Amino acid sequence: MNTKGFRLNPVVLILINIVAPSMYIFLPGKYLQYFLLAFALSVMLLAGSIKGFFGLLLVEGLFLAIFYGTIGVSSLEFLGLFFIVFAQSVPCVALAILLIKRYDSAELLSALETLHIPRVLVVAVTITLKYIPTFRREFSYIKESMRLRGISFTWKRPVKSFQYFIVPQLFRCSALAEEVSAAGLVKGIDAPIRRSSYFEQKFHVMDGIVLLVFIGGLVGGFVWKNM
Amino acid sequence: MEEHVIVADGLNFSYEESTEGIADVNFTIEAGEVVLLTGNSGSGKSTLLKCLNGLIPTITEGDLSGMLSIEGEQYNKMKMHELNKMIGSVFQNPRSQFFTENTTAELVFPMENYGYTKEEMKARLAELTKAFGLEDLLNRNIFTLSSGERQMIALASAVTMKQKVLLFDEPSANLDYGNAMKLGGIIDRLKKRGYTIIVADHRFYYLNGIIDKVLFMDQGKLNLCNSEEAFKQGNYDTRSFDIFSIRLPFRGEESTGEEVARMEQVSYLDILKDVNLTLRKGEVTVLVGNNGAGKTTLAKALCNTIKPTSGTVWTGDLPFFIMQDPDYQLFGTSVYNELMLVKDDLPEIKKCLEYLGLTPYRHKHPFDLSGGQKQRLQIAMAMLCNRDLIIFDEPTSGLDVYSMQSVSKEVLKLKERAGILVISHDYEFIRHVANRIVFLSEGTVKEDFILEEATLPKLNQIYQQMQEEKCNEEVKN
Repeated sequence: MNTKGFRLNPVVLILINIVAPSMYIFLPGKYLQYFLLAFALSVMLLAGSIKGFFGLLLVEGLFLAIFYGTIGVSSLEFLGLFFIVFAQSVPCVALAILLIKRYDSAELLSALETLHIPRVLVVAVTITLKYIPTFRREFSYIKESMRLRGISFTWKRPVKSFQYFIVPQLFRCSALAEEVSAAGLVKGIDAPIRRSSYFEQKFHVMDGIVLLVFIGGLVGGFVWKNM
Repeated sequence: MEEHVIVADGLNFSYEESTEGIADVNFTIEAGEVVLLTGNSGSGKSTLLKCLNGLIPTITEGDLSGMLSIEGEQYNKMKMHELNKMIGSVFQNPRSQFFTENTTAELVFPMENYGYTKEEMKARLAELTKAFGLEDLLNRNIFTLSSGERQMIALASAVTMKQKVLLFDEPSANLDYGNAMKLGGIIDRLKKRGYTIIVADHRFYYLNGIIDKVLFMDQGKLNLCNSEEAFKQGNYDTRSFDIFSIRLPFRGEESTGEEVARMEQVSYLDILKDVNLTLRKGEVTVLVGNNGAGKTTLAKALCNTIKPTSGTVWTGDLPFFIMQDPDYQLFGTSVYNELMLVKDDLPEIKKCLEYLGLTPYRHKHPFDLSGGQKQRLQIAMAMLCNRDLIIFDEPTSGLDVYSMQSVSKEVLKLKERAGILVISHDYEFIRHVANRIVFLSEGTVKEDFILEEATLPKLNQIYQQMQEEKCNEEVKN
């Protein structure tokens, strides 16, 4: 809840995350890709997430390098095309991660509510979002447990190693899903009443600026396309 | 006629995928009663609890029939959100207890769901803070709280909507002795304030003298005891009401076995301070101390999970660590396969499975086993692993008395070939297995002695001290 850097209104981040991916239908991919990258990088800096900034830069760079490295080689071209799709989605994924990391599930729930999204969807989305940090905590326990059991991930037998890692996770999914749902249900998450919010999410000037830059970028894309 | 708070009339439930369930359950609960819901694993205790908190039939699917009502309203005519205004749930597992990660957010979460205004929420939050002494706990990350603090937040968030009926799901499983006794005191006070309280648990020492009714489940059937006395006189093993009166033989004798681990002047951040400890083969050493005393950190240092800030840790080989939650430790595709990962020796695996009564389940997936069976599988792993030091972290939490006794037997067998370190606050279990007691308090070893007739008062005194530590905290609040 406490962060360094500016705390964007989660509604802004959610809106951007809904709109941005669908824009690939209307706008030239190359333009949007670089605009979104620059935009997401700026948001990272604004939010004070240095790790997020460099992480995004690194992953994007890697995917683009694979794309440009394989694009001329006919036998590897399919791989490049595969990675360009990844590269295009990286900025949005980064913003989504920022959203999950920086905002509590209760805040996200309130934010979604202000967007007048149907309750059923809000509950489903929030339970999913809540599931991610839980999963991350579990993940570290399992990694530690593998080390103590002497079962380590080895590239010599990747399939086998992966199986040890992923199967317990899958089995835990159903149990976790039930627990997470229970936590919400016994606290009245299904009440058909308009949800209120204790943590008021004020709309600051900066939120407006971020939105304007985003919209400006998209409009710029349309102009560029028609030129 | 006085109206009953809860009435069950011919309540039945059967699961879709298992034979367990409950049949023909009838009882009434009056306002202001403390009711203990107990029974062995698989007896239907959890099923009945889930019926009471509404998770059956909302989440868990199966066949439910019969009548259940609260304050005159029938369960099947209510939605979850209506039921939850009357009944508050405290789960043992933080994953199902907390929806958010921040204490304040968690406390206001139900009020937000029911559409309270900000002013109403502020006022109620202030009331709760005062009633439960939460001043220092507001606006903190729930996962950094101690188990006792977490319990207080869980409790406060269960009565945010002014619920008068409270359900506790195995509170003792995640609480140390001091905090469990403290919870007993809190339940007693809530009772005096008119709350109706239902506690589902295997252990009930912390409720001694305050129980009005016992719902004892046995193979899906209910045996109702209308007083604590009646329950104590029944056939069920209720010795654990007064844990200090247990008479058991002492394991005694200092071990002269081979050294398996040594810690010299080990410190870690401000959690451990100058810990010295030598562990030997043939010895069961029990590490006691309240939560937060550094027990788990000490075990982690032995497993090389953390590097001590100063001092040295030596272990022959990597210790085998048996976690409290077996689900993190199972990786195999079947019981056989799980054990093959430990040691590729089929005859020995067969012997081991036979000994632990797991042979009928050998082809099952480890995750399809029951809690008790999973634990036996972990013990089978420990038996096969050939490591010199085996560490158990709270092996008996959530086990019924009979399973606890069988774990004790296995631990004693294991010590024949390895050194055993057990982290536990289960007094009865400790009396079954311990040769030696190491008492950790505030990161230092305060006591280290062989448990025998002469030193038993010392152990009891440690328990007394752990209780006082927590109860003094309460006075401070």
